[in-house]
Amino acid sequence: MAETRFGKAIGQALADAMRDDPDVVLFGEDVAVPGGPFGVTRGLLDAFGPERVRDTPISEATIVGAAVGAAIGGLKPVVEIMFMDFCGIAMDAIVNQAAKARFMFGGQCSVPMVLRTPHGAGVGAGPQHSQCLEAWFAHIPGLRVVCPSNAADAYGLLRTAIDHPDPVIFVENKSLYAAKGDLPENAGPIPLGRLRVAREGADVTVVAYGAAVGTALTAADALAADGVSAEVLDLRSIQPWDEAGVLASLAKTHRLVVVHEAVEAFGVGAEIAARMADVGFDELDAPIVRVGAPFMPVAFAPNVEAAYLPGAAQVAAAVRRTLE
Amino acid sequence: MARNAKGGDAASAADRDVELLELYRRMLIVRRAEERLSQMFADGEVPGFIHLSIGQEAVPVGVCAALRLEDTLASNHRGHGHALAKGLDLERFFLEVMGRAEGVCGGRGGSMHIADMGVGMLGANGIVGAGLPIAAGSALAHQVRRTGGVAVAFFGDGAMAEGTLHETLNLAALWHLPMLFVCEDNGWGEFSPTSRQFTGDLIALAGAFGIDAATVDGNDVAAVARAASKVVAAARDGCPQVLRCVTNRVHGHYEGDPQRYRDPADLETLPNHDPLRRCAAKLGADDVAKVTAEVEDRIAAAVAAARAGTEPDIARARADVYSPCEAAHG
Amino acid sequence: MTAAAQIVMPKLGLTMTEGVVVEWKAQPGQQVAEGDVLFVVETDKIANEVEAPRSGVIGEILVDIGATVPVGTVLARWRDEGSAPPPKPAAAPVPAARSPAPPPAPSAPAPQSGRHIATPLARRLAREFGVDLATVRGSGPRGRIKAADVRHASASAEPRPVEPAPVPAGAGPVEALSHVQAAVARRMTAAKQEIPHFYLATEAEVSELLALQERLRALPDCPRLTLTHWLLAATGRALAELPEFDKVWAEGGVRRLGGTDVGVAVDGERGLFAPVLRGAGRLGVAQIAGRAEPLIERARAGRPLPEDGGGGALTVSNVGRHPVTYLTPIVNPGQAAILGVGRVRDVFRPDADGKPLLKRELGLVLACDHRVLNGTDGAALLGRIVSLIEAPLRLVAPPV
Repeated sequence: MAETRFGKAIGQALADAMRDDPDVVLFGEDVAVPGGPFGVTRGLLDAFGPERVRDTPISEATIVGAAVGAAIGGLKPVVEIMFMDFCGIAMDAIVNQAAKARFMFGGQCSVPMVLRTPHGAGVGAGPQHSQCLEAWFAHIPGLRVVCPSNAADAYGLLRTAIDHPDPVIFVENKSLYAAKGDLPENAGPIPLGRLRVAREGADVTVVAYGAAVGTALTAADALAADGVSAEVLDLRSIQPWDEAGVLASLAKTHRLVVVHEAVEAFGVGAEIAARMADVGFDELDAPIVRVGAPFMPVAFAPNVEAAYLPGAAQVAAAVRRTLE
Repeated sequence: MARNAKGGDAASAADRDVELLELYRRMLIVRRAEERLSQMFADGEVPGFIHLSIGQEAVPVGVCAALRLEDTLASNHRGHGHALAKGLDLERFFLEVMGRAEGVCGGRGGSMHIADMGVGMLGANGIVGAGLPIAAGSALAHQVRRTGGVAVAFFGDGAMAEGTLHETLNLAALWHLPMLFVCEDNGWGEFSPTSRQFTGDLIALAGAFGIDAATVDGNDVAAVARAASKVVAAARDGCPQVLRCVTNRVHGHYEGDPQRYRDPADLETLPNHDPLRRCAAKLGADDVAKVTAEVEDRIAAAVAAARAGTEPDIARARADVYSPCEAAHG
Repeated sequence: MTAAAQIVMPKLGLTMTEGVVVEWKAQPGQQVAEGDVLFVVETDKIANEVEAPRSGVIGEILVDIGATVPVGTVLARWRDEGSAPPPKPAAAPVPAARSPAPPPAPSAPAPQSGRHIATPLARRLAREFGVDLATVRGSGPRGRIKAADVRHASASAEPRPVEPAPVPAGAGPVEALSHVQAAVARRMTAAKQEIPHFYLATEAEVSELLALQERLRALPDCPRLTLTHWLLAATGRALAELPEFDKVWAEGGVRRLGGTDVGVAVDGERGLFAPVLRGAGRLGVAQIAGRAEPLIERARAGRPLPEDGGGGALTVSNVGRHPVTYLTPIVNPGQAAILGVGRVRDVFRPDADGKPLLKRELGLVLACDHRVLNGTDGAALLGRIVSLIEAPLRLVAPPV
């Protein structure tokens, strides 16, 4: 067991995948020589050479479109979109090409590509470099969406994503890159669609993913001091999400709070809440409460950005609402 | 290739005749298939949008004559010719366009998204310009996997203003991709002339990226085939190429488009440029008649078989949204 | 009656405003004959099997089991092939099917209309534990009933521990209750938990009454009289004479009735019913006998008419056929009092000189809802009933 930073665990997963499979190639803006804007891909060019680790021009649409063609052609491309906000330029390739190829060609091919991209505010990057847009992708049939919360999960989920026959949007919260966590020596792939119980509890289920898991755990600590036992579920993958796992926890606690950094309206939390209100109806002993960012862009000013981010106090308040 | 253009020896002239007849036969398959689709669309037998390439058959047939099975191509919305010229089975073509379960894409794609990975046809595409980066990615796969293959992007002049063309030209040049850009320049982008859409020049544009570019008479199948064999060979060596084929779109943007925006006098001249008529003029009437009868029989048989196809069911369609791994939620 | 195209929630009693379909006995597409049971309706009072008013084929069923819907709601449709549906009855607009009572507005106070604000889990537990949500106080926002409230209510209602005790050897299986039995169980649980009871016990001397009854029975046109008829007469007359006690608890206050209606508890084939004799205080005992008997007979057979139930401030429950001295009964929900009647006993009482004197006494216990009646009210009412029983001649004729 070694302590590793989140970003380094991702780099390790890329390196191990490239070592294990010559079809894995890596390309994106500044991923090769500069080693990525957050240093995640540092050293991979030296290790695997310029044919498999490539810097691209600033051409997001073509980066992703080429990944689709390469994936259909037998490679396992891992591409990076430098900030999730830039996916807007590449949406056709993601939504109309990657997501649909398998379906619209009658299952003739799959598109085994990974699109890595950082989301999240908190680093002063402003309105166009801070958004959490994962719900866009979870809404598209054909895409899988993953969002790890810690170094070990980032490693295991990325290994799975790279070997996965379907296109995977791999979302990394940029505030986590420097976070340290344990990465087991023999870390292996982690299946998609299965949540992790980050903390066991009895009174209320708090579902989160990505950096919001840490927020939820902080809130759970505060609640424990008041005698409230919160169970924190780390969703790990958003599409598919572990409906059965959430339902099992809800059946135990009968109360549900869903937390994410993305804006609350029309988000991942809305989907989870809606499903649980349906399949878990008879388990509910309180309204399902969502915690997300307010419906506004991220502001540059540090104080406004800080106020924008959903914090542990909001999560605790939401939990208390379910206990009324 | 004019029969009397060059005074080669009798044997090679005979070979060329055989080759030309084969090109004619392939063009006629595309032509008759699309004419049949036009009729079936009018009769309500083919649903949805169909975009016909009648008048442009020399381009896909000429280019694909220079391709191998392992070479790949990414097509666009006007892709019947690309699909059939690359070798997509005629029967499964009709089954697909008619939305049948036995179609090459199980009835999911239809005319605008027809693909056959088995022959390297990576898909027609409903999004203008979207096939270009896909072809670049396919070329990357050829390059990294050392397949020796070439990837071809077919696009119309209507795609010249799409950013993906410019980005892909750049990437192909930057990475020395084994890639061929084939522009079917029919003068129209949807319902507007290209002159009102694009101020640039494709040959100059390619040149700006250091990519070799050539223009060919896109209604002369032999000329296209000859040019293609040259540019495909260069592309195969890692020098991406642009081939601009000047041709004509006879039908509307899609079936049902009455083309009121076009000059009737202009439309009247189109038969003079018809690639099939021009090709047939260089062939013996008996050969043409024989090929015509054979092709018409094949089309009739394919349509009959397609009509007997079954309707796909939604459960099987849903099963192909994802690979058979974890179930997704929706 | 023309064949209606629709099957609606029937009004099964004077006070019924809504009901729950607890079971469908017929399914869409099923051919039913007139008189076949179509569905079972449960109100806060009784469970009732509703029969097909005609033969036909059931079409669509529109209301799910468990849904509470207002009277008149279309529950299902007849499928009448080849015949156009008859015009809708020109009654008040039929409430939309499928939707139970609309959800209360966010600012709504604790519900009065039968729509209980409860969490889904609380509802499920209430079903499982057989707890009537009407009897549960919600501790959540807006009085929302939560799971803990239901558990609390269930625990306080059942002396048994939540964990079932080990079944002793030879013990039989738990038998499921009929709908009527289940409704009675729920109503009685609710009544015992919700109504603050107090009890007044006394004896009435009935030698004179029994002698008078003998004489009346000998008359040619007199219907067969029983002690129950006299008790109904005495109770009704007491309410007529003391109309201030003819009242019940309703919607957080007291509702005056004044109809001198008196219920009679009947242990029938399908469970307990308490049909109500209308205007008992205005009738002579022979009239009472004539009217009460068919009422009692229907209840005994388990087929009360819708109009037989509901209303009245008081019920008479007579177990005097059995060797019981006193019955301490539970007030029926919706009423204010119940008179428990034991058997007639021969007892010696001291006369004025202290010598034993043989008396025939009836043990009476009047159970009262303390929200409606206080102790002196109950004593006055019971005293009047006793004096009427002990001077029965006044009961023979209707009051002037």
